[in-house]
Amino acid sequence: MAETVKVCTQNFGKGAQDIEVYKKLGGYANISERLFNMSQFELIDYVQRSNLRGRGGAGFPTGMKWSFVPRGTGKPVYIVVNADEGEGGTFKDHFLMMEDPHRLIEGLIIAAWALGSRAAYIYCRGEFLPCIESLNKALNQAYAAGYLGENIMGTKFCFDIFVHRGAGAYICGEETALINSLEGQKGQPRLKPPFPAVCGAWKSPTCVNNVETIMSLPWILQHDPSEYAKMGTPRAGGTKVFCISGDVKNPGVYEAPLGTPMMTMINEYAGGVVGGKLKAVLPGGSSCAPLTAEEAAVATMDYECLASMKTMFGSGAMIVINDTHNMVDLLNCLGNFYSHESCGQCTPCREGTGLLHRMLNLIVEGKGHDGDVELMQSLTGGFGGVTICPLSISLGGPVASYSAKFRADFDEYIAKNPDHAKPRVQETARPGIFW
Amino acid sequence: MSNYYNMPKLPTEASPKVEIFVDDKAVMVPGDTNLLEALKAVGIETPHVCYHPYLPVSGNCRQCLVEQEGPRGRMLVISCYTPVTPGMKIYTPASSARVKNARKATQEFMLVNHPLDCPICDKAGECTLQENYMECGQNESRLRPEYGKNYHGNPAHQFVDAKGQVRGGKHVDLGPRVLLDEERCVQCDRCVRFMRSIAGSEQLQLAGRADHTYITTFPGEKLDHEYDLCVTDVCPVGAMTAKYFRFQKRVWLLSHTPTVSMDDSLGANIWLDHADGRIYRVMPRCNPEVNRSWLSNTSRLAFQEFDKNRLPSMELHKVTFGNGKIAIVAGGTCTMEDLAAMKMLKESLGDRAELFGGSLLKVTAPDGIAKSGDPCANRAGMKLMGFADVSELLKRASEFETLFTVNANLFGEDANAAKVLEKINTRVALTPFDDETAKKASIAIGVRHWSEVQGTMVNSLNIVQKLSACPVCPDEGLKAPYAVVAFLAGEKLESAADAFKKVTEYVPAFAGLSYDTIKSTGKLLEGGNA
Repeated sequence: MAETVKVCTQNFGKGAQDIEVYKKLGGYANISERLFNMSQFELIDYVQRSNLRGRGGAGFPTGMKWSFVPRGTGKPVYIVVNADEGEGGTFKDHFLMMEDPHRLIEGLIIAAWALGSRAAYIYCRGEFLPCIESLNKALNQAYAAGYLGENIMGTKFCFDIFVHRGAGAYICGEETALINSLEGQKGQPRLKPPFPAVCGAWKSPTCVNNVETIMSLPWILQHDPSEYAKMGTPRAGGTKVFCISGDVKNPGVYEAPLGTPMMTMINEYAGGVVGGKLKAVLPGGSSCAPLTAEEAAVATMDYECLASMKTMFGSGAMIVINDTHNMVDLLNCLGNFYSHESCGQCTPCREGTGLLHRMLNLIVEGKGHDGDVELMQSLTGGFGGVTICPLSISLGGPVASYSAKFRADFDEYIAKNPDHAKPRVQETARPGIFW
Repeated sequence: MSNYYNMPKLPTEASPKVEIFVDDKAVMVPGDTNLLEALKAVGIETPHVCYHPYLPVSGNCRQCLVEQEGPRGRMLVISCYTPVTPGMKIYTPASSARVKNARKATQEFMLVNHPLDCPICDKAGECTLQENYMECGQNESRLRPEYGKNYHGNPAHQFVDAKGQVRGGKHVDLGPRVLLDEERCVQCDRCVRFMRSIAGSEQLQLAGRADHTYITTFPGEKLDHEYDLCVTDVCPVGAMTAKYFRFQKRVWLLSHTPTVSMDDSLGANIWLDHADGRIYRVMPRCNPEVNRSWLSNTSRLAFQEFDKNRLPSMELHKVTFGNGKIAIVAGGTCTMEDLAAMKMLKESLGDRAELFGGSLLKVTAPDGIAKSGDPCANRAGMKLMGFADVSELLKRASEFETLFTVNANLFGEDANAAKVLEKINTRVALTPFDDETAKKASIAIGVRHWSEVQGTMVNSLNIVQKLSACPVCPDEGLKAPYAVVAFLAGEKLESAADAFKKVTEYVPAFAGLSYDTIKSTGKLLEGGNA
């Protein structure tokens, strides 16, 4: 394993939760030395040149997102950090905030300077209690050291950060649902447009960024944006924090440059597949399509390659599955999760995810019938691009791709039903016209 | 749902026309509205469930999908939330199989957890789901019974039925007037939006999520509001049912009479839904200028008293009025035709008769929904006809020897006024009901109720509105007030149209009008402020 540059995880295990340690490791140097000499536009240009793309899952270029935020509207600009990490298999933000909370604070000060923001909210998943503790401790230290609050470092710049505990709903990771929840409303995605950059939290321009995105900023400012861009692929710069879980020897959080081959990640970083042979890899969290072992052998971990393989990079959460597992069991877990986490707004998602889950449950219970898989595939066709947010596709996609790539697993379960070949619907005598 | 949903922009006659391409054909549509309304304006109906023209758009049913040509190719969009832009290219099911399939899929999902109890559902016959099913569903069910339905709803309301299935709440008591069937609810949140945005009292909310979302009130609270029965109108399915109409009548057996509610001077437009010679329910009739789609409970439930306590018909004889002064008083529910007949009576009697009109009930502030707060419905009409206010009469009651009231329950409305008016010797009352005034009258003559006569009224916005006669009169011998008054004046008004001709003679603002030229939504008079 080649030694690579660490952007977000460089302070892991060094006790950087304490501000003194963090400062000794070079932290907050940006704030005291560089930041306030730069103009807002210089800074946004900096981020654009670094080719940094949002690390939450959608991979939207961060500099471009910032440039959409309107200026001089008379309304405050809010920064919201999306720390509501709910996607199955993703646990990077949790570790990042636990191990290095000051880097997030430093990144937020940089983002606030770029956007002219007065306040930021860290919307943290409610279950991450140690994380919230660590964040609050770091915030107190940063306020005491004068990095936050009124007139930071003797300038006119004022900035506050608040930590908001979510209530653990997956859908609140969607930015407009997150904003609704932050405002105290039910966590349901809003209709778009208007997008949050124009009308977000409390009807003000709002920039929602992932934890990792914000935590990349101090490094970018410290070094040169071109240096950051150099590390990744032509269309996405930098390194990425991967969470590798599943049937590997050393599951955990690893930072590697974008474009690292998938098998390098599995074999060199995570120590290889255990318990059997490699069967499938979910490259970007639970909602993406799986790659078979053959596909995984040629895949590289970046946005373009995975998109070309009809799956997605997502949050970089690799779930490695060995050949002792039946994919239907996994899909049934997903069905349980997504049918529970649907917000209940759009009809296809509200009714469809529950129906798919019930169908999967029947198959797993050994009550499946021939034709169930085709029906499920047909039903997922009603999900595509018709709902407010992509949650429906988060289940519909896997159902379609699992059943296409691992059809044998489904048939194995369906064959357990002795009556599986019987007609689907027991035809009852239809009442005649003179009922 | 979010607080930030906005009211849809509806097209008006003044809307600028823009060219868009529907199924590759150029059409001119109103430019300042959403796609759903624009398509409706050119005769293309789009099935929808959650969209309501007078409620904020929430866009959750996903039934109104169309395809729009965009920079990234043809995308499915919801037409209720897509603004019309000049030159946009739209594809409807007429040309796009993708739209057709998407709507069909949504329809299928909508029915996954919806019970098929149409035969006992009060909404059957006017149910949006049924209409959409005929339009874009009509598929054989592909689901096996084992897949089951998920009638979660409120866990407190679940029960296990005879077949061993877990069922949801079938008759959840939301408040004094509304029952909820949680199984039928399709979570369109129209009722939630109505209570929040129109009624202004957030009493309903969606609780839970996914397919166990259900409508509920706050714990321990009831749905109790002057407009709470409107949630049964906006409910696209039979989830919200009005207690008074539950299991009363199949809706396709009802006939509908368009008329105007005469208990408030805004004159909310209503349908009188009747069958077998009685009114079964009163529904709001959409009028964008007046009451939109809303109706207060008072106006809606008033019909229950229409056929109670009525005066019987009687044979009329020519009466002679004494030599003293005569006060002719019109009540708030008098139509313009009645007022014209009373003016004829005054003319036949000469200077000793004087015209008064109004009500002694308290005037309250307009609620901004479907009530102006003035219980004297035709007050504007009385002003046009030159009737003095009834308070004038109370000041000068001692001058009069005869009190002639039409539809005016002055004795019942105010006890103090009753004491003053009792001093007038001869009291003639024309009234549908055997009310206090009728009881105190020397002669009480039964007439038809306003729901049983044809006529016109002028509302508080100066709009002339038409009343139609609903064939529910309990006594066919009863005559309309204008006919009786004209008979007493020694003249003859054969029909409402004859009486209306008299109105046009008396009121210059009515010149040139006829029943045919007044639209069903009324006609704004010159100098109106609608």
